[in-house]
Amino acid sequence: MGYGGARRLADSRLCKDFKGFELGETVTIVGDHDPALMKYFDCTRSSHRSAFDGNVVYQFEIMEYILDYGFERMGADGSQVDHPILITECVCNPVQSRSKLAELLFEGYGVPSVAFGVDAVFSYKYNQQLGVCDKDGLAICSGLNTSHIIPFVNGEPVFEACCRTNIGGYHVTDYLKQLLSLKYPNHMSNITWEKVEDLKMEHCYVALDYASEVRLFQKGAKEAEEKNRCWQLPWIPPPAEEPPSEEEIARKAAIKEKQGQRLREMAAAKRSSRITELENELQGLEFLLHQLENVQENDVPSFLSETGYISKLEIESAVVRVTQSLKKAKREQVEIEEKMDPSMTEKYTLINIPDNMLSPEQLKEKRKQLFIKTTSEGRQRAKQKRFEEELDRERQNELDEKKRLENPELYLEQLHAKHRELSEKFEQRKRLKVNGTHTNESHNSSGGVGRGERLNAAQKERMRLLTTAAFDRGKGEDTFGTRDEDWQLYKLMSKDIDDDDEGQDEDEAELARVTSRLQDIDPTFVAKSEIGPFQTIVEIPRFRPLTKEDFQIILGVERFRCPEILFQPNMIGIDQAGMDEMAGISIRRLPLKGNSVEERITNSILMTGGSCLFPGMGERLEAGIRKIRPFESPIRVVRASDPVLDAWRGAAAFAAAVPFSEQIFSRQDYYEKGEDWLRRYNLRQMIAITGAFHFSQISLGQEREPMAGLTFARGLALLYGHSSKSCAYDSPNKMVIRKKFKLRDIKIRTVFRVELSLVEFGQAQLCFSLARTLL
Amino acid sequence: MEAEVLEANILLPTHLSFKRIQMSEKYPKGHARGRHWKHLKQILQAENYQIYSSNEPNYVNIESPPSMYPSKKFCDITGFEAPYIDPRTNLRYANTDVFKCIRSLPNEYVQRYLALRNAAVVLK
Repeated sequence: MGYGGARRLADSRLCKDFKGFELGETVTIVGDHDPALMKYFDCTRSSHRSAFDGNVVYQFEIMEYILDYGFERMGADGSQVDHPILITECVCNPVQSRSKLAELLFEGYGVPSVAFGVDAVFSYKYNQQLGVCDKDGLAICSGLNTSHIIPFVNGEPVFEACCRTNIGGYHVTDYLKQLLSLKYPNHMSNITWEKVEDLKMEHCYVALDYASEVRLFQKGAKEAEEKNRCWQLPWIPPPAEEPPSEEEIARKAAIKEKQGQRLREMAAAKRSSRITELENELQGLEFLLHQLENVQENDVPSFLSETGYISKLEIESAVVRVTQSLKKAKREQVEIEEKMDPSMTEKYTLINIPDNMLSPEQLKEKRKQLFIKTTSEGRQRAKQKRFEEELDRERQNELDEKKRLENPELYLEQLHAKHRELSEKFEQRKRLKVNGTHTNESHNSSGGVGRGERLNAAQKERMRLLTTAAFDRGKGEDTFGTRDEDWQLYKLMSKDIDDDDEGQDEDEAELARVTSRLQDIDPTFVAKSEIGPFQTIVEIPRFRPLTKEDFQIILGVERFRCPEILFQPNMIGIDQAGMDEMAGISIRRLPLKGNSVEERITNSILMTGGSCLFPGMGERLEAGIRKIRPFESPIRVVRASDPVLDAWRGAAAFAAAVPFSEQIFSRQDYYEKGEDWLRRYNLRQMIAITGAFHFSQISLGQEREPMAGLTFARGLALLYGHSSKSCAYDSPNKMVIRKKFKLRDIKIRTVFRVELSLVEFGQAQLCFSLARTLL
Repeated sequence: MEAEVLEANILLPTHLSFKRIQMSEKYPKGHARGRHWKHLKQILQAENYQIYSSNEPNYVNIESPPSMYPSKKFCDITGFEAPYIDPRTNLRYANTDVFKCIRSLPNEYVQRYLALRNAAVVLK
């Protein structure tokens, strides 16, 4: 919003955002989004809203807030706003929007008079005054949500030939944001709308020829590398651990030594105490034995009952046991095996005796012994086999080493090849599984056995059997199962469910072994990872620390891919013409051609609007328009002096000019003429006054024809305000008739004014105009 | 109010002298606030442009037609020229590396790429 000179208000930036917050109280905030200030507010319950849908105002509550803000900032105080207001709008604004806005201004603010105008036109007129473009020309206005092309003939915009595509800066930013978030999902929180908009304004440009530019990047040429821009996200490297200095190492080693020493001492102490214990026990037992020899046969039990042993045998076995443990404690090799074997064979005595000679208890014994024997034999065999395998592997390793030493390169190559093969197989299997499960995610099959999981042979076979069984039935009902033989089908299927996995495990183990071997031998070997020449969804491998590069966002192709959608809306799925094609369409739509109008138009093409600030846009437009114009027609594309604010400047200039007062309509007019008149209201741009012509052409009945007079405004100045109730016209051809009548289905209070007016174009034309105003 | 916020001039005072009816009275707190605003589509429908002559420019008239040029196909992921389409996901791709990448994308990303091009399947 701005304050025009001569106390006129012009509002050219109707696209401010708006926020309502709670901060103990609800406050309303109007303005551009500033993240620094947002932290003072709690925006959980509401978010920023815009008054626009496309480029049309539809949320008048928010519009009211914006206007409030504007008026207040401009220092309006007093009981009402006392200035006439000029408001910019979009091309061919729907009447409802226009009328609601007028109503808002009149009722809410008490504005005395209002005028509406198109922003692109103001911009063009302003630049025309500056001399940047001519009287006849083309305005290419690319805004936030839409892009317009408006041809000008003799200073007047020709709205019939206007063309609009619903692509603007908003779409460009949105596209860039989506692309970046898909490419760098880790940094999604940093890729905010405001930041992306900044990036767009700073780095994006329009390529002269998209295809060749893209080819440059595809080849990976050096120029492409230079064009890459890098956005470094804030990142703090982890504190670098200094390699410990010599004394650190020595100190740590000494500490470890000491600890080891201490542990060893403790173990030794324990051992020695145990040894003494055992020795004591042994001594006691021997003493007991010795005593036993002295005692009589009969007194043995009573004598022994004191000590806790029942028979001499037991004492002897205890003695043996203790000696053994003593020996073990003293770390002598004990041939336990030998001791065991004789006791084993003792225990196996019953096996050799045939069954019929044994009692039932002995039979049980025998079975037990048999069992023990077989298990122990099995264990021994297993041990033997393991031992042999070990030897085998040792031998293999030795062979390997020998091979390696004699021909290191060949060996390495072979190993590499093997690794590649294995990893390929592994990857493929993994991918099959992954893809299978991913296609399943979308269908969300319950149960889990989807297509992907049936990919191993056994399950394929199973599936085949089932389907043949189902289809062999013939058409009609499914009679599977009525006969018993049908169920035999299931016997044919293998019972393995996941034998695929086992195979994979083997391969995995093999792969791991080969990888580790390679890593040991080959210093240049790096574990394979999937990173192509472009940046795709890169998973940060876990085995290396995050580096600076992980926090960089690189804009390469996106720099010119995003603004390209202005010229090729198909890239984003919007099925409309791009900007250069629109120029052609607009010129074709011009109702009156001839007199080399087209050449004059293409000679002065003005780019205005915020989204035309991309570097390279001018050249691209020129190239595009040259394609559709005949050979060697003059084409000149210029940029407005200030594309963003020119519309406002133009409007301000217009408002400051004297005839402005005749353009606007006042409150009374509005009440009188009402909404429908507003439909036909159009701002005249030419300032020169050569006559008063009133164009309104309406037919009777429900139909009405709008201001066709506008199209005939060639070379004529038109400036006429519908300001007076009782028009007294000078021209004899005009008559004013007042007539009142009611319409069937519309409310009462309609005032009608029938006028005959004259349109001059080398021919006189009488037309009736029936103005119906509804209040 | 913090000084910074005041200085930035973004707050709207609650009472404005030049208004006849203050916003707080018009839209009292707690009531549904103006949800009845018509969207652009509804506005255009209500306009009923068919009854007027097609010569006159109106909002719908001046819309540009579909492009005459056949659309160039570009890779969804890299932006290069893309002569190929992946049959499973319907994404366009430029070469085998991109293809490998596409095949390892989770489904969510595939749909988002398609949505960029307005080609995603929307189930309603």
